[in-house]
Amino acid sequence: MAIDNKLDAIAHQIRYEIIKMLVPLESHHIGCSLGIVEILTALYFEVMNIDPKNPEDINRDYFILSKGHAGASLYATLALRGFFDKKLLSQYDTNGGLLPEHASRVVSGVELSTGSLGHGLPVGLGLALSAKRDKRPNKVFVLMSDGELDEGSNWEAFLFASQHKLNNVIAIIDKNGLQGFGKTEEVISVEPIKEKLESFGWAVQEADGHDLQSLKKAMTEAQNSQSDKPNIIIAKTIKGRGIPFFEGKFESHYYSISEEKKAELLSSFNKKS
Amino acid sequence: MRPGIIKAVHNHMKKNKDSYFLTGDLGFSVLEELQKEFPTRVINMGVAEQNMIGVASGLALSGKKVFVYSIVPFVTMRCYEQIRNDICYHNLDVMIIGLGGGLSYGVLSATHFALEDFAIMRPLPHMNIFSPSDEMEAVLGMEALLNRQGPVYVRVGKKSEPTVYEKPFSFTFGKANIYSESKRDNIVIFATGPILSEVVKAIPLLEKQGIMPTVVDVHTVKPIDAKLIERISAGKTLAVSVEEHYRIGGFGSAVAEVLSQVVGSPRLLIIGTDDRFIKELGNHDYLRETFGLSASGLTDQIVKAFKKE
Ligand SMILES: [Mg+2]
Repeated sequence: MAIDNKLDAIAHQIRYEIIKMLVPLESHHIGCSLGIVEILTALYFEVMNIDPKNPEDINRDYFILSKGHAGASLYATLALRGFFDKKLLSQYDTNGGLLPEHASRVVSGVELSTGSLGHGLPVGLGLALSAKRDKRPNKVFVLMSDGELDEGSNWEAFLFASQHKLNNVIAIIDKNGLQGFGKTEEVISVEPIKEKLESFGWAVQEADGHDLQSLKKAMTEAQNSQSDKPNIIIAKTIKGRGIPFFEGKFESHYYSISEEKKAELLSSFNKKS
Repeated sequence: MRPGIIKAVHNHMKKNKDSYFLTGDLGFSVLEELQKEFPTRVINMGVAEQNMIGVASGLALSGKKVFVYSIVPFVTMRCYEQIRNDICYHNLDVMIIGLGGGLSYGVLSATHFALEDFAIMRPLPHMNIFSPSDEMEAVLGMEALLNRQGPVYVRVGKKSEPTVYEKPFSFTFGKANIYSESKRDNIVIFATGPILSEVVKAIPLLEKQGIMPTVVDVHTVKPIDAKLIERISAGKTLAVSVEEHYRIGGFGSAVAEVLSQVVGSPRLLIIGTDDRFIKELGNHDYLRETFGLSASGLTDQIVKAFKKE
C-alpha cells in the first residue's frame, strides 16, 4: 500500500502547513480546517482530474469549498499540489496579505469565493449543468459542512439536482456533528440524513472522513457510477483532527491556543514530518 | 415592454448557443415560444430563487450568458446574498430580469411591489441597473446590454406601458437621454422607468403655471450619468427626481449623491413613495393617483416646491 503511505504523508504535511499558518496568528477555524484534510488529500492527490499548470482547463474537475471558513485547509492543499508557491501561505490572514480566511477565488485553484453557507451546492449545480449540456466530462465536487445543511438553499439544490439527473455532481458532507454554537443533533438535527437524501433522489454513500482508503473508494465509486442520480458522500469526521485537545470540540471553531501548547504543537508536528 | 425584452432575449439565444434562460416558475403566456425553441437552455427552476441564482452563477462561471426571470421581490430580495456573493463578487455575466417595477402589480398589492429594488441593487459593485420607460427604450437598451458582459438588473414594468418614444433614438447605456429641453427652462426633471409617461403629461400642466421643465430620461440608474446631471442642473431654480420607489435610497438618492458634490447646485425635490407599506388597494393608475404620482399629482408637488424657491 505504498500509495496510501504517500497519501498519508501528504495529509500530514497539509495538517502541518495549516497549523503553521493558523496557530501563530491565533486564527479562528482551526478545527474546521483540520477536519477536512483527508477529504482534500484524496480529492487533490488522487481523485480529481486537475492540472496545476493549467488550472482553467475546460475539462477539469471542479472543487467548491462551500464551507469557506476552512479556507486555510484548501490553500495548504493547493500549495502542496503545486497551484502556487508554498511561501504564499505566509500571507494568510495578514494585513496587506493575499489569502483571506474564507476561501477566495483570487487564489489560484480556488474555483469559488465562499464564506456564507449554502452557496456552494447551487453554484456547483450550475457548473454541472453546463458540463452536461456541453457533453464535457467535468465532475463537480462540493464540500459542505453538516451545520450548513440548515440552509434552505441546499434543499432547493437537492431537489433540482435529482430532477435534472446531475450525476456529475459529487457532494461531500463533512459530518463532524458540530456547528457554530452547539452540537448539530441539539441545534437542528439533520438525522436521518442518509434516508433524507435518498428520498431526495441522491445516491448516498458513507465513508470514514479520515481514512483515505475509505474516501477514495467512495469517491471513485461516485465518479464511475452508471446511475443518473447525483452523488453524495457522508464523511464522518472529527473536528480538530490532529490536535488531541481540540478533537471533537466545537470550541475549536474559535479557540486560540495557549503559548506553551503552541510551541509543543509545532515541534511535535515538525518531528513527525 | 415585457414582449420587447423577451423578443430581444429570443434573438440573442438564437445566435448564441452559450446562453441560458432560467425562470422562477413564471412565464405563462409569455415564455412558451422561448421554451419551445430552446428546450435545453430555457429551464424552469421551480419556486426556488436562491438555487436559481446559484445555478445561474455556476453556468456563468463556465462561460455562459445567463438570464434569470421572475417578479422583482422574488428575484432580488429573496436571493439577495446570492446576487452579492455569487454574481457580483465574481463579476459574472448574468442578467436579472425583474417584473413589476414600482407599483405596477396594483391589486396584487404590497408583497408584489418593487419599491426597494434600486436601493438594494445600487450599492453592489459590478452591478448595472437598466430601468426602461417603454417598449421602444427597452428594446434599444437590450440591444446595447446584450453586447456587454457582467451583472445587470433590468427593472421591467408589467405590460402595455404607455408609449413614450414613437421613434428609435441613439441609445447609449450609461448616458441619460434628454427627452425634451425647454429654451427658457427653470427646472430640470430627472425621471426613470415607465413613470416618465406621467412626467411627459405633466409638462404642459407645469408650463401653464410658468414652470418650464427640461425632462431627462435616466434609463441607466447605475452607472448614473453624473456628467449630464451636473451639467444640466447648473443654473436651474429646482431639480426634481421622479421614480416609483421609496424616496429612501433609490434613484433620487443617486441623483442627490451627484448633486451634493456640485457647488451651487439647485435644491433637489425627490418624488417617490413615503416610508410606509402601502395598504391602499387599487390598480396601478389608482395607486399613482393616490400617492401623487400621476401627471396632476406630480405637477402639484413640483409647483409647491418651486414656489418655495
Ligand atoms: Mg459541522
